[in-house]
Amino acid sequence: MNSLQEYFQTDWAAMTSSDWVGLIMTVVVFFLMIALYVYALHPSNREKLEAQRFIPLDEDRLDTEGRK
Amino acid sequence: METTEKYHFDVVRWFSVAAVIYLVVGTLVGVVIASQLAWPVMNFDNPYLTFGRLRPLHTNAVIFAFGGCVLMATAFYSVQRTCGVKLWSNKLAWFTFWGWNLIIVSAVITLPLGLTSGKEYAELEWPIDIAIAVVWVAFTVNFVMTIANRKSSHIYVSNWFFLGMMIMITYLHVVNSLAIPVGMFKSYSIFSGVQDAMIQWWWGHNAVGFYLTAGFLGIMYYFVPKQANRPMFSYRLSVIHFWALTFGYVWLGAHHLQYTALPDWTGSLGAAISIAMIIPSWGGAINGMMTLSGAWDKLRTDYVLRFLIASLAFYAMSTFEGPIMSIKTVNALSHYTDWTVGHVHSGALGWVGMVAAGALYHMVMKLWNTEMYSSKLVNTHFWLATIGTVIYIVALWISGIMQGLMWRDYDEFGTLTYTFAESVAAMHPFYAMRTIGGFIYMLGGVVMLYNVVMTIRQARTNPSITAEPARA
Repeated sequence: MNSLQEYFQTDWAAMTSSDWVGLIMTVVVFFLMIALYVYALHPSNREKLEAQRFIPLDEDRLDTEGRK
Repeated sequence: METTEKYHFDVVRWFSVAAVIYLVVGTLVGVVIASQLAWPVMNFDNPYLTFGRLRPLHTNAVIFAFGGCVLMATAFYSVQRTCGVKLWSNKLAWFTFWGWNLIIVSAVITLPLGLTSGKEYAELEWPIDIAIAVVWVAFTVNFVMTIANRKSSHIYVSNWFFLGMMIMITYLHVVNSLAIPVGMFKSYSIFSGVQDAMIQWWWGHNAVGFYLTAGFLGIMYYFVPKQANRPMFSYRLSVIHFWALTFGYVWLGAHHLQYTALPDWTGSLGAAISIAMIIPSWGGAINGMMTLSGAWDKLRTDYVLRFLIASLAFYAMSTFEGPIMSIKTVNALSHYTDWTVGHVHSGALGWVGMVAAGALYHMVMKLWNTEMYSSKLVNTHFWLATIGTVIYIVALWISGIMQGLMWRDYDEFGTLTYTFAESVAAMHPFYAMRTIGGFIYMLGGVVMLYNVVMTIRQARTNPSITAEPARA
């Protein structure tokens, strides 16, 4: 067994239910973060997201319009 | 005033003025305790005024009284303007104002009396902890319901940051404060040993991460574009900033407990994620600063904008310094020294204090529909705050690193070279220097209070003056 394998060696049998809940939540959130990065940085979403930059400068518009 | 009719701004005005008063009071107590460390005679042999009792009063005053009032003022102000609706409940907003101030008064009474749970940044005893939870939830519900009633479909990013802060602080405060009461003013944590330490720093670091960072980033994302009159540099970067910060910050607490009974891997994990957090933190700081891209000349003339942009420089600096200090090798030198105190103050004075000052100046002009009584005094405040912060953190960098080196130095026989008392004596000039830095910063707060009071008086006697940013 090389040192890298030793470093990542895990005693799966010793995992408690709390360990499993924590591990699953962490892995799920990790993949959600990847999905978020892809969504936010995908060129097709650029215009839609960047249009929101103007909200603080465009507040008066909201006084005359309903929810869009 | 037009704005008064359109939105519920009276409560925002009260929160804003209270924040400026608490800035002066909180920093004054800080200067007193800093001088007590330099000159112990300043304890006056009076138990109610000793460092141990006034120190939590200082932290509670600046974090929860000043910081809390700033966050509540700015959250209530910006959520109405970005959503185009009044607050969901004006009565609940006033309940939040009076409730929060009652809690601050309770802290002012109980902490000098020595009534404390002994948990850092959560010293208040259980009846006050319950009151904090009730008032904080009232603040959160009002904010959420205002967003629910909004006129636009999109929720602007500043509201996401405020909302992240509110949800996480509710969760953190309740769990960290779980205790068994043994009397009206005494309780014991339900956690013990290393678990108690871990919960303490899970709360402690996330109070920094969500209350003093996410909340104040909400301020940055609204007030920098408003004051610069330019849209923020990148909305996509702000989305990534928010989620990366929210996902990352909750892991960091363990880096406060390196070389303790906590399992070694926990501290390593905390340090690793701390290093990773430099990326979203700097992304956010660059996003704020680059909002001025193509219009940097505004910094020459707009003193309020100077506060907001300089605060981002301190934010970038302290979010780099923190992760470096969390690495075990660096932590072996820095832990338990004044370097930690200096690091905290570069974030607190430089980032939190200055972004708050910029937002408060902006709001005071808008809320009272006037310009500042004196733009020169805004500039004076800016330089006092900047110079005071730099003197403070430089003093504690030198002091802290020297302290760490003295504590671990040993001779050829393995005997410690210096006694602890010798390291204390070596600190003296830097403690004096720190007191001077803090005093200069406090002086800036006094200048701000005077300027704000005179601006409000001016607005009342001469309401025709139109709102303009403070300029040279």
